[in-house]
Amino acid sequence: MEELILQLKQEIIKVLNLEDVKPETIADDAPLFGDGLGLDSIDALELIVLMEKTYGIKLEDPARGREIFKSIRVMAEYIHANRRK
Amino acid sequence: MMSRTNDVYILAAKQISVQPPLSDEWMEAPLRYGEQPYVRAVDPDYKQHFAPNEARRLGKILKRALLTSRQAMTASGIAKPDAVVTATGLGCIDNTELFLDALVREGEALLKPSYFMQSTHNSVSSLIAIDARCHGYNSTYAHNGTSFECALEDTFMQLSRGQIQTALVGAHDEMTPGYFALLSRIGYLGHAPGGFSGEVALSMMLAAKPQERSLCRLRGVEMEYHPTGEALRQALRRLLQGAQCRMEEVDAVMVGLSGQPSNDDAYASICPELFPHKQLLRYKHLFGESYTAPGLGVYAAAVCLHRQRIPAHLFVDCESGEQRGVRHILFYNHFEEKNHSLILLSAC
Repeated sequence: MEELILQLKQEIIKVLNLEDVKPETIADDAPLFGDGLGLDSIDALELIVLMEKTYGIKLEDPARGREIFKSIRVMAEYIHANRRK
Repeated sequence: MMSRTNDVYILAAKQISVQPPLSDEWMEAPLRYGEQPYVRAVDPDYKQHFAPNEARRLGKILKRALLTSRQAMTASGIAKPDAVVTATGLGCIDNTELFLDALVREGEALLKPSYFMQSTHNSVSSLIAIDARCHGYNSTYAHNGTSFECALEDTFMQLSRGQIQTALVGAHDEMTPGYFALLSRIGYLGHAPGGFSGEVALSMMLAAKPQERSLCRLRGVEMEYHPTGEALRQALRRLLQGAQCRMEEVDAVMVGLSGQPSNDDAYASICPELFPHKQLLRYKHLFGESYTAPGLGVYAAAVCLHRQRIPAHLFVDCESGEQRGVRHILFYNHFEEKNHSLILLSAC
């Protein structure tokens, strides 16, 4: 799981072009949206594309994004349980 | 076709190009690129101007456009212009290429939304308007090599008729390696020593009323499509009459000589007849060629008028020295010998 969390942080930094953010500065349980990383709705779309492209997970119900994208750890657990790649 | 008599003022202009960014250093010590056919813009350190989260999604053309716009607004003291009018030949071509490459490589299902959002031509003008909270007139002219003149004429008409009081006019183009290769293959760029492609980010604040530090007056804009020699002469007469200016008063003519024979031959035949005995100035040897390069020509003329001098390195005639006490500069440009434009600028 720790390896997947690190990989996911690196992917998010790359995809969302978070130039000044390092993997170690993203807390595993910090919120991705709002107070934490401060992501927005367009970033949510980017994360949906990332999930499908990298891990083969197609998010059929976008409304579930709020729950899945709660934090890096929650996202990694979801990927671990549902990945096809 | 019609010249208008009411003056318009260029209050401020800021550029990011192949010359030092956000400055007029090219007047004293221009950067030279020798035989390089392809030159990218000199970018400032954007981290000094944008918060990290603010700029991370923006491509280079958008960062350049936003920064030059903000600085032009600050320099003119106008935080919210009545209109935002933008010229761009290629729009956000970098993101367009990324989007299309992904489309070819991966199909339609998994495309990045950010590239899509920024792959339209009017992304530039809309971003500036959102940033400035400007809900007024917003238009983008994407007409290849006449984009800037169209944007300027639109703005000039609205300002001189009193429809608006202030307008932010921009010329923005980036040049990717892929697009440069394509333009080279068709002979538009890259075939002559000394001629090179550049990138443009120019933002100018125009207004119906002058300020103490206005750069210059914009007296009129004339555009002709496939004109005869007589039609061009008439356009020039209209422009001068509208500004109540005589040709003898014009100090010099700024032209779009680029070093490419396919572009320059027309100037060699037209200029001696249309502007006999007038000193010719050039700017593309400093700023490079691009669809909206004429914006930088007008900017260069505006700076010369503001400082009341033309540096020696702008003269086509290498023997000419610096000229002082400049009052009127005529700008003449053609695009592929089809679209011709004449713009008159005068000192305040």
